[in-house]
Amino acid sequence: MMGFDIAALLGALGLGSAFALVGVVLAGWMCWRIADKAGLPGWTGLGAILLTLTGIGSLVSLILLWVFAFMRWPRDGAPAVVGFAPAPGGGAPVVSSPASLPPPSRALADRRGWKLTGNGVALAFDDTHAAYLLTGEGSGAPGELMVADPSVGRPHARLLTAAGRLGLEDLGTPGGTLIDGARLLPEHGPRDITAARTVRFGTLDLSLGRP
Amino acid sequence: MWTLIAWLVGLGTFFLMALLVVHVLFALLLIVPTWRICERAGYSGLLSLFHLLPVLGSFIVMAVLAFGDWPKGEGKAPAPQPARP
Repeated sequence: MMGFDIAALLGALGLGSAFALVGVVLAGWMCWRIADKAGLPGWTGLGAILLTLTGIGSLVSLILLWVFAFMRWPRDGAPAVVGFAPAPGGGAPVVSSPASLPPPSRALADRRGWKLTGNGVALAFDDTHAAYLLTGEGSGAPGELMVADPSVGRPHARLLTAAGRLGLEDLGTPGGTLIDGARLLPEHGPRDITAARTVRFGTLDLSLGRP
Repeated sequence: MWTLIAWLVGLGTFFLMALLVVHVLFALLLIVPTWRICERAGYSGLLSLFHLLPVLGSFIVMAVLAFGDWPKGEGKAPAPQPARP
């Protein structure tokens, strides 16, 4: 009877170990991919998971998770997002020649236009132009989006459309630009804001949506 | 007899609540950084609440982050080309 109990216990432990092994392998693989997507070497993610196999390592993994969440990712330092090329200098909206643009990695089927609304501002635009210049003082040029507000620069930012996606590039005005609360700096180049909800130009919070 | 049952029920409830509190506190240690990671990736921070689901929750969050397309871009994007040749 005792032998049977011990066998059952060992069996249960063995099953638990098998599940734990599968869990560690899966978690390691997924963390490899997550680290990779953030621009870090994949082995850092795998290493963090393998640390949990040691006793004190679980605590280290938890600390590494916090570090990973709040550190600067290499991805954020990337100058541009696929599909949008940084335009040289400020001034008039620049439409990059198709030959100079790499093909968008993931073209979206949804080709509706875009709208920026809020604080008495309602801007609507589509992919008629490859680039729109957002400015506080318009000159009437095509592809210009005017927002009459003292906190908005002249010009302030550039909006880029490509393959159903929308990009945003800050042109370095004092008012600044924020995407969902995260500051966009000119050195970041164009950022994909297709999935963003709010964009702040100067002191104006605008909601991004599709008509 | 009834006193004993009441004691057992009370004790069991106490331990369950204590377990729940410890679980939520530990989950919070995971939820806070994961919330930020999800938002930086372009997903809703609410996704990190899956950590409240014991055992499987963390795997669900990791799977979404690992195999989904990050709406705010990924680090392996090809290098941009100059706008003008």
